[in-house]
Amino acid sequence: MIPLKKVGFVVNPIAGMGGAVGLKGTDGLAAEAVARGAVPVSPRRAEMALAELSGVDALFLTAGGGMGESALQKSGHRYHVVYRSTGVSNADDTRRACRSFIENGVDLIVFCGGDGTARDVSEVVGSQVPIIGIPAGVKMHSGVFAINPRAAGELIREWLGGDLSTRETEIVDVDEELYRSGTLDTKIYGIAVTPYRPALVQERKQIYSSRDEEVFKEEIAIFASEFMRDGSAYILGAGTTTAKIAESLGVEKTLLGVDVIKDGKTICLDASERDLLRIIDEVGRAKIIVSPIGAQGFVLGRGSQQISCEVLRKAGPENLIIVATPHKLKETPRLLVDTGDPEIDEMIAGRRQVICGYRMAQLKDLEASSKVRMD
Amino acid sequence: MRTKILLDEEEIPKRWYNVAADLLTPLDPPLHPQTGEPLKPEDLEMIFPKGLIRQEMSTDRWIDIPDEVREILKLWRPTPLYRAHRLEEHLKTPAKIYYKYEGVSPAGSHKPNTAVAQAYYNMKEGVERIATETGAGQWGSALSMATCLFDIQCRVYMVRASFDQKPYRKSIMQVWGAECVASPSELTNAGRMILKEHPNTGGSLGIAISEAVEDAATHENTNYALGSVLNHVLLHQTVEGQELQKQMAIADDYPDVIYGCVGGGSNFPGMVFPFIPDKLKEKKDIRMVACEPSACPTLTKGLFTYDFGDTARLTPLLKMYTLGHDFIPPSIHAGGLRYHGDAPLLCNLVHDGVIEAMSFHQNEVFKAAVTFARTEGILPAPEASHAIKPAIDDAVACKKTGEEKTIVISLSGHGHFDLSSYDAYFSGNLVDYEYPEELVKQSLAKIPKF
Repeated sequence: MIPLKKVGFVVNPIAGMGGAVGLKGTDGLAAEAVARGAVPVSPRRAEMALAELSGVDALFLTAGGGMGESALQKSGHRYHVVYRSTGVSNADDTRRACRSFIENGVDLIVFCGGDGTARDVSEVVGSQVPIIGIPAGVKMHSGVFAINPRAAGELIREWLGGDLSTRETEIVDVDEELYRSGTLDTKIYGIAVTPYRPALVQERKQIYSSRDEEVFKEEIAIFASEFMRDGSAYILGAGTTTAKIAESLGVEKTLLGVDVIKDGKTICLDASERDLLRIIDEVGRAKIIVSPIGAQGFVLGRGSQQISCEVLRKAGPENLIIVATPHKLKETPRLLVDTGDPEIDEMIAGRRQVICGYRMAQLKDLEASSKVRMD
Repeated sequence: MRTKILLDEEEIPKRWYNVAADLLTPLDPPLHPQTGEPLKPEDLEMIFPKGLIRQEMSTDRWIDIPDEVREILKLWRPTPLYRAHRLEEHLKTPAKIYYKYEGVSPAGSHKPNTAVAQAYYNMKEGVERIATETGAGQWGSALSMATCLFDIQCRVYMVRASFDQKPYRKSIMQVWGAECVASPSELTNAGRMILKEHPNTGGSLGIAISEAVEDAATHENTNYALGSVLNHVLLHQTVEGQELQKQMAIADDYPDVIYGCVGGGSNFPGMVFPFIPDKLKEKKDIRMVACEPSACPTLTKGLFTYDFGDTARLTPLLKMYTLGHDFIPPSIHAGGLRYHGDAPLLCNLVHDGVIEAMSFHQNEVFKAAVTFARTEGILPAPEASHAIKPAIDDAVACKKTGEEKTIVISLSGHGHFDLSSYDAYFSGNLVDYEYPEELVKQSLAKIPKF
């Protein structure tokens, strides 16, 4: 008999409340949001996702009350409460619930919230267990979110049925305090594993058969390691694809930071914007290699903030090299750039090559996010 | 209003035209893969019959076609030249568009023109078995048919990506008595080595060539055969261009431009080489344009240098435009155009500016193919459609200039085995790949220097 799959299920009950009342995020501001008339949005979204799971046989482990229990009760699924919050729910409760899920050996963790919640979950879970986000926050730039609650339900169902593979993706968040005061400072906080539907139609399946993402990452890395020995300083953004490039060169790289490599040697680890500006001045020639954040598609502006508009201006927008595996590109409907400087965004936007394999590129439209209405 | 210009069987050319006699710059010799010395005829005897080696090295302008070969060519030759009245009308162009259609051969493409000749010379010298590779399956099908007619066994290494896309290619080869295996395979050292490194690879023509060459070199009384690139292959294809010359004369017209697709080079050179003396000696104003995929743009973005013809470095080094023998082109749907190099004779003429080259993305190519099918009826192969795309562009440009330009498309084959690719196009699933030229230039240190 196949053992019953265990799913950790946690809802951030205050997620998303700030958005409708003009607060850019709800971290530390739940009371203010309520005072401004905000109503909870995440419980309803959690229920929508669960509604897609009727007939699915799984055991849900959850947190008490509004943190999951209420939604599961309504949906009629089997569940155990493994954590109860003692006061008003906060970020620490999400982390504690997740810790308890891990201790109980869950196969999957589903959370309902925004980027802040994703960060809390990822901090505890890392890459140990796949996670799926039901989107309910103010900002959802991390790659673990389904496009809507129903889609999240479908993903959960398919994953439990064994039909889905997983991939690594980025957990991204902005500093909400700074964001509220008008400064955008996002960074990559972690790498998570998430189920995804490769959406391979028949033809596509035949072409790629089972050439998996890792093979293409390696191909990109080998190609990059060949062209990166031209004397330029190479600024490598965060992520697993760029990390693979460093690995292929046999040099050190931080997974979440921005690093600089020149002629096969790391010359700066975890560089700040100031470091980058200085290096470009010293070396004279710099190229920037970045990979879009899976699913949501930001090439610049949602991670690796050190690669600022000043850095791009100094390096020259033509020296931006975008890398991504074909799978990631297939899953990322559009590529976006938002450096904070519309002029630079415009210069970078347009039909661009994205390196997707060994001496191989795809032509993709890169859009300035100021020109795009975000859903 | 004449639609088809047909020739009588007796007008199948009696001689092949060898462009090596008319080059502006003599061809650089192929080099031995181990020594780097120019290749001697005996170096090739292990895998080719002497009759073909003589042709490979020949600079005679004309070489007689054996009667036995012409007898078999009669099964489908001469091929028709069409005037594309309906396409012209649809485009409302003053241009005159012709297409010479090689899809009428039993195998569905121009490939039997050389397959029959190659099988014949192998049969004459008592060879019992031939190993070969195939990209899209056109060459494998053609050689299967030809070896069948001369009672020779045949094994075809078919590039995995195409093998999966077009399962019926294997079936047709089987009907003609040949064995078709997906490449890389477990049957050769070269295949096993690639599979160890890339277990899920879609393969490439370069890999399949390595396997077939190894097969021929390690099996008793087995030869190798190649469907493009080599001089003798291009020679055999010149029946096309010679027929075209006669047919244009009947139409009382002469091409301003000929478009043809190029993978390794066989159909396009075969169609245009007979016009080279017109251009060089008689100073006729004719453009010959090689059309290739942007995903594998050998002539437009490659380097003109010596490189291996295959991935495992078993073949002689050829002076050609190359993207590097270790380049595995993306799995585009024009599988027959996925080759890192090109025929040295063709490259020589491109380098000397006699022949031009252009490249196109697959979505725009399929769009042109559909326009063609909806006006002319014939379903073109994705490969051949690379020549339709610029022909349509050219004809549309003539609307502005009013020029009654004579445009000829070399339509190398039908697309009846390529319908899954058309499906992919209609469902919006074709990716436009591009070759990252600037970055590759930075990294071309891997090509051997001589």
